[in-house]
Amino acid sequence: MLNDYLLTVISNIGMISLIALSAYLLLISGEISFGQQAYFGISAYAGAIATTLWGWPLWLALLFGSSLAALAAGFVGLLTLRISGLYFSIATLAFAEMVRLSLFKLSYQLEIDGELIGPNGAEGFGEIRWIFDNDVSVLEYTLLIYGILLLVLFCLVLIERSRLGMIFRMLGQDPLLTRIQGLNPVRYKVTAAILAGFIAGLGGTLYAHSFTYIEPQIFNVMLGVHALAYGLIGGLGTVLGPLIGVAIDIGFLESVRVFQGYRMIVFGGLVAVMLIFMPRGILDENRVYRLKNLAQRWFRA
Amino acid sequence: MLKVDNIVTRYGAIEALKGLSLEAREGQVTCLLGPNGAGKTTTLFTIAGILNSHSGSITLEKDNLTNLSAPGIVRKGVVLVPENRLIFPQMSVEENLVAGAFARPRKDQPAINADLKGIYERFPPLKERSTQSGGTLSGGEQQMLAIGRALMARPKILMMDEPSLGLAPIIVEKIFDIISLLNKEGVSILLVEQNARMALKVAHHIYLLEGGKVTFNGNPQEMQQDEVIQRAYLGAGST
Amino acid sequence: MTDFLQNCIDGVMFGSGYALLALGFTLVFGVMKRLNLSFGPSIMLGAYAGTWVYLNFSQNVLLVVLVTVMITVAVGIYVERLCFWAVRRDATIASMVSSFVIWMQLEEVAMHLLPERTYPFPAFFTSTVIDIGPFFVRSEHISMFLLTLVLLALLHLFLFRTRPGLAVRAVSDNPLASRYMGINSSNVLFLAFAVVSVLGGLAGFLILSADSQVTPFFGLWATFKGLIAMMLGGMGSLPGAILGGLLLGVVEANAFWYGGPVVRDISAYLLLFMMLIVRPGGLVGQRIVAQQQAAYERV
Ligand SMILES: Nc1ncnc2c1ncn2[C@@H]1O[C@H](COP(=O)(O)OP(=O)(O)OP(=O)(O)O)[C@@H](O)[C@H]1O
Ligand SMILES: [Mg+2]
Repeated sequence: MLNDYLLTVISNIGMISLIALSAYLLLISGEISFGQQAYFGISAYAGAIATTLWGWPLWLALLFGSSLAALAAGFVGLLTLRISGLYFSIATLAFAEMVRLSLFKLSYQLEIDGELIGPNGAEGFGEIRWIFDNDVSVLEYTLLIYGILLLVLFCLVLIERSRLGMIFRMLGQDPLLTRIQGLNPVRYKVTAAILAGFIAGLGGTLYAHSFTYIEPQIFNVMLGVHALAYGLIGGLGTVLGPLIGVAIDIGFLESVRVFQGYRMIVFGGLVAVMLIFMPRGILDENRVYRLKNLAQRWFRA
Repeated sequence: MLKVDNIVTRYGAIEALKGLSLEAREGQVTCLLGPNGAGKTTTLFTIAGILNSHSGSITLEKDNLTNLSAPGIVRKGVVLVPENRLIFPQMSVEENLVAGAFARPRKDQPAINADLKGIYERFPPLKERSTQSGGTLSGGEQQMLAIGRALMARPKILMMDEPSLGLAPIIVEKIFDIISLLNKEGVSILLVEQNARMALKVAHHIYLLEGGKVTFNGNPQEMQQDEVIQRAYLGAGST
Repeated sequence: MTDFLQNCIDGVMFGSGYALLALGFTLVFGVMKRLNLSFGPSIMLGAYAGTWVYLNFSQNVLLVVLVTVMITVAVGIYVERLCFWAVRRDATIASMVSSFVIWMQLEEVAMHLLPERTYPFPAFFTSTVIDIGPFFVRSEHISMFLLTLVLLALLHLFLFRTRPGLAVRAVSDNPLASRYMGINSSNVLFLAFAVVSVLGGLAGFLILSADSQVTPFFGLWATFKGLIAMMLGGMGSLPGAILGGLLLGVVEANAFWYGGPVVRDISAYLLLFMMLIVRPGGLVGQRIVAQQQAAYERV
């Protein structure tokens, strides 16, 4: 049977996959963001406030939190239009740190059932009780997470096959040539930022309700850089790449007891060596092409 | 058809084009020749809207292109095949071609599909490699792909920047065959070349650029009769 | 007004430490056009080794400095070979992510070496406060400031008066052309990392001495302060790194005085964010950015 520990690991993989996918979406369009944790965090706080303090249903809170995240992402996207490369990365990092530090100053508490509840600076935001109040079991919540993850994956696959996805990749490879091609990079850069913000936001609200307690420290740059690393480890050629990265890190190393206390030493060394041989990850564009061709030939035969 | 009138383009304080005028006529191959740094690439980039001219005007037939953005200019039918960065290396050949038509409206889709077939017929090597990623093509094939992709935009006028750069002589001949074939089929072409002898064979009209200005303009016969130019660009005693 | 001026003095003193860290980033960035996120953690590991020696073997401070610098250099070279030398030159993101996972690795190693949260860190002198009119300065800040000036002068001499320094500058200007000239860029990379690590080790020692303690968070702290200071001054510029470090110090000191620790940190990031949007080249690097842009737009 699935025990609760295992379920927690599995649901963790699902939620972290969402922020990894969000970083991946920007990666393929040529932007390295160190700041996707900001949108994860904004949505975690907003979504949790919506259910816990305002009594909204979860789906509405999800929509609210993620939209707020997308809005913030669009705003940052517009501000950072002129910069790229390392400058963009550091700007997103600076923004995310501003968000995290602002959360230390965020205090908004209401009295609910005789108790003061709500975010309170460094003390964090506990008692996010939606799961208990609605009698949702861990299994059910895990299924919800994976339902949403599948939906996001489905949409991303559609995007990848569409003209929009191709334009993202074109931007990632050569923005100037994309312009020569008669496309307006501004529009697509902001679109990518908003989409990525929304996806990270979905993960954030889900995360807050799964753990029932959040604090600013969770949304530090470590989370963001991990999200980035997952895509790069798994491969930039397909949306499955980031999921593979998450599964390797959380699913394998964190859960296997032998590595306790040595996880980063093993994982760090492993990834560093891997990146030497596969600088664009396990499933990079060329391998994906080759696999696709292989599959095609297989079907024809 | 494409008229460039007295444009000035600057890089910061450096004036790269100092009041340059030229005209590319419908159905003709117009060629820009000139030494390195003369401003040939700058001219094409200014026409394509990647660089903004400081003064002067650019018109296509009756449309004023002067202040349009790069996407707007592609939609008007002026398409550039740039010099070094020809293709998207991590996209397949077919995706590269399809991307060429992104500036066309969506309702064109049936026509776009037909055009894709047409490109494959015209360039069989591309069809053979349609699922291969662009970066794995040879230099000549990449040039072919870049031209094919530009054609996917259904250009009224095709601008090419040194298509022979870095290619073996036999491939250069092939590329020039393609250029004159395209022209015979009615595509107007504005060609930038270093290879004066090849250019002379296909061009109807020639502009010579030096230091950001036109210093000679005429047809190939006139050019070959001008001794100074003859010595500088074709090597003494040629033809 | 006195408060403000006092804050500025503190800021300049402390900012000189930031400047040293920023120099490390700028030098590596200049040579490789890549970011070494592991810079701070390598220094942290060096400092941990120093403290470990101090706690277990000898109270000799000079030995602590030596161990700190040597381990920092050793770790720096490990990072260089693994994350930069071995990774393909065009794979900039891979290098960055690689240096990040190595960061996590270094942090865990440090935790195994010394598992508690904080450890004391030795200094050469006990701290005294020196009065200058209405203002005061702490002695260790003065020594930090002076040493920064000395190191700066040495770095300048190295880069502009020695042959290896010339090679470093050549590679940072044009790696390809340097290769054609017969400069071994792998050696230059190695050298740059070694120099930067010495600088970083000394900076770490000075900063931690002034703090008289070391925690595992020092790695993150050093990477970020160095990065912010470098970006504020202008990526890849040496004078920029110094100006950026001082500016960061002054802004932080004032923000801390008037608003507390959270406001101090927010103000640093806000300053960085605004600078990147308005003037990505920082205080002095605008020309470098413009050149990069131009080089990119050239076909
Ligand atoms: N981004 C830039 N910044 C500053 N000057 C530039 C820039 N791009 C080009 N120039 C200068 O403008 C002038 C014209 O350059 P352009 O690239 O148009 O020449 P070209 O005729 O295409 O040369 P080539 O035959 O070598 O391709 C040159 O003197 C060049 O140095
Ligand atoms: Mg040119």
